[in-house]
Amino acid sequence: MLNYISEQNLNDLLDQLIKSGKRVVAPRINSGTPLYEPLSASGEMDLKELPRRSAKETFFPVCEDILSYEKEGLDIKLSDVDPARFPETVLVGVRPCDAAAIPVLDAVFSWDYKDQFFLERRRKTTIIGLACTTSDDACFCTAVGLSPSTTKGSDLFLTPVEGGGYACETYSQKGEELVGNHKELFADTTAANPLPLAEARTEAFDLKKIKAWLDDNFENSYWDGIAISCVGCGACAFVCPACHCFDIVDEGTEKKGQRRKSWDACGFWKFTHHASGHNPRDLQPKRYRNRIMHKFKYYDDKFGQTLCTGCGRCIRVCPVGIDIAAIVEEISHK
Amino acid sequence: MCESNKNIYLPNLVTIADIINETPDVRTFRLVFQDEAVRDSFSFRAGQFAEYSVFGAGEVTFCIASAPTRAGYIECTFRGVGRVTESLRNLEQGDTMAVRGPYGNSFPIEEFYGKNLVFVAGGIALPPLRTLICNCLDQRDKFGDITIVYGARTEADLVYKRELAEWHERSDVRLVKTVDPGGESSTWDGKVGFVPTILEEAAPSAENSIALLCGPPIMIKYTLPVLEKLGFTDEHVYTTLENRMKCGLGKCGRCNVGNVYVCKDGPVFTAKQVKAMPLEY
Repeated sequence: MLNYISEQNLNDLLDQLIKSGKRVVAPRINSGTPLYEPLSASGEMDLKELPRRSAKETFFPVCEDILSYEKEGLDIKLSDVDPARFPETVLVGVRPCDAAAIPVLDAVFSWDYKDQFFLERRRKTTIIGLACTTSDDACFCTAVGLSPSTTKGSDLFLTPVEGGGYACETYSQKGEELVGNHKELFADTTAANPLPLAEARTEAFDLKKIKAWLDDNFENSYWDGIAISCVGCGACAFVCPACHCFDIVDEGTEKKGQRRKSWDACGFWKFTHHASGHNPRDLQPKRYRNRIMHKFKYYDDKFGQTLCTGCGRCIRVCPVGIDIAAIVEEISHK
Repeated sequence: MCESNKNIYLPNLVTIADIINETPDVRTFRLVFQDEAVRDSFSFRAGQFAEYSVFGAGEVTFCIASAPTRAGYIECTFRGVGRVTESLRNLEQGDTMAVRGPYGNSFPIEEFYGKNLVFVAGGIALPPLRTLICNCLDQRDKFGDITIVYGARTEADLVYKRELAEWHERSDVRLVKTVDPGGESSTWDGKVGFVPTILEEAAPSAENSIALLCGPPIMIKYTLPVLEKLGFTDEHVYTTLENRMKCGLGKCGRCNVGNVYVCKDGPVFTAKQVKAMPLEY
């Protein structure tokens, strides 16, 4: 059974994929910041740090055209988007908190209406996950039922082993095909011991108990207290692997332009603002309440899943130090 | 994209076949799909909405205001309140715009067969009910008594004046129209008073009846107790909710009231469902 790949061979695999015309996306340092980005060569990959943003943008770009239009007299010509444009992609070095969020997003993007912008990219992408050997104070994947070695969402999963290289295992046909097409780079070994996994930073939350409190406490002054410092910057939504709210806008003139889908955030005051001036979420605590409710109640009500994988990015990036893990843990004790 | 990879955000082009100025600030567009196959196959149920595009400005959400029983066109009725609706007002007969839909749930019209229907609407909230009223009138023998209580701030603000005249003429419809105190002209032949007051006065029977209610939040607030007083239970009172929308099909995460997505679980709700929702609409 092909269950090991050396670091060199992993690099060779990536270079072969790049050469064959596939897009290879991996953690890469961009001006000092680790991000999941397309590689032009395997040497650019840097797996040491958790990328500052999630892997969701491989499937759900920050901004993308969904159609373009051109006016010709009284007529308008609409141009659709060709899914053949979406490249075959291998996403490598994906942390468990990022990989596990992708199947969670599948639920909303395929709810009755199939969003092919997301789903076609999903079909064309193979995910190679990577176990975490380090964690920090903001990590809380273990609180939401995940761990540094969760394989959920990965087609092929790599665990660093003593002596270098990775133990690997496939979890889908896509993973098997990837290994099968590059058999010579993988080896069969029972010798390698996995490196110690990252320290678990939190106990498991009682998600059922948390949801039960959220079910009954929409109107509770608790929300006013925890969100008093939130400035509605939206950074938490943007770095989150599971947040998926978006805006649709026309850019261009009435004669020619594109309609675009782009990331949005429920923390923005304008998110639910009606043209009449009415805003159901007119104050920041109401907007922050929606964030917690959506992640720990509504997504469960609708799809049976929690919309959070405990990656901790929102905690690290919040300019005012709001800690979602601390808030949710506090709720679990109510 | 080919059929199996359909772009769910791609709208259908329509031509503005007719423009009716309902009031100084409310306009109705009659729209015809440019693609013949779409024109022949487009169908919807009363209560559903669509996303209407003005390219360059964006999309906006309105109910489909025409009756599903009328073929060949759809209608939308709107007021210019923001960027997109103001751009809509700049369009003329013969111009091209686009529509995608229908979206949302609908009035469960089959459950209303054999029942008496009481429609209560205010101002520009008549459109979502007008589609159902016309649907019912096109199948009149399926329903019992039909009562319509409709009011606006002033006589000039009443929409669908042509339909109001038609309904007034029909012997099988009881139409009670009203304007707010001070809103009547010297030739006004209807009632004077706020809709909840006039509804209470008209006192339609709640027996074997369904109430359908649509109006600004303040009208809803004062009408629900009147309906309750008249004997209507919350499961027999229907209304529609609006919210800020973008995708209209359950993905962009914007229109939820608690865990209810107005675009998917609504926009048609019973009063019972609305009362169970958090106050976030």
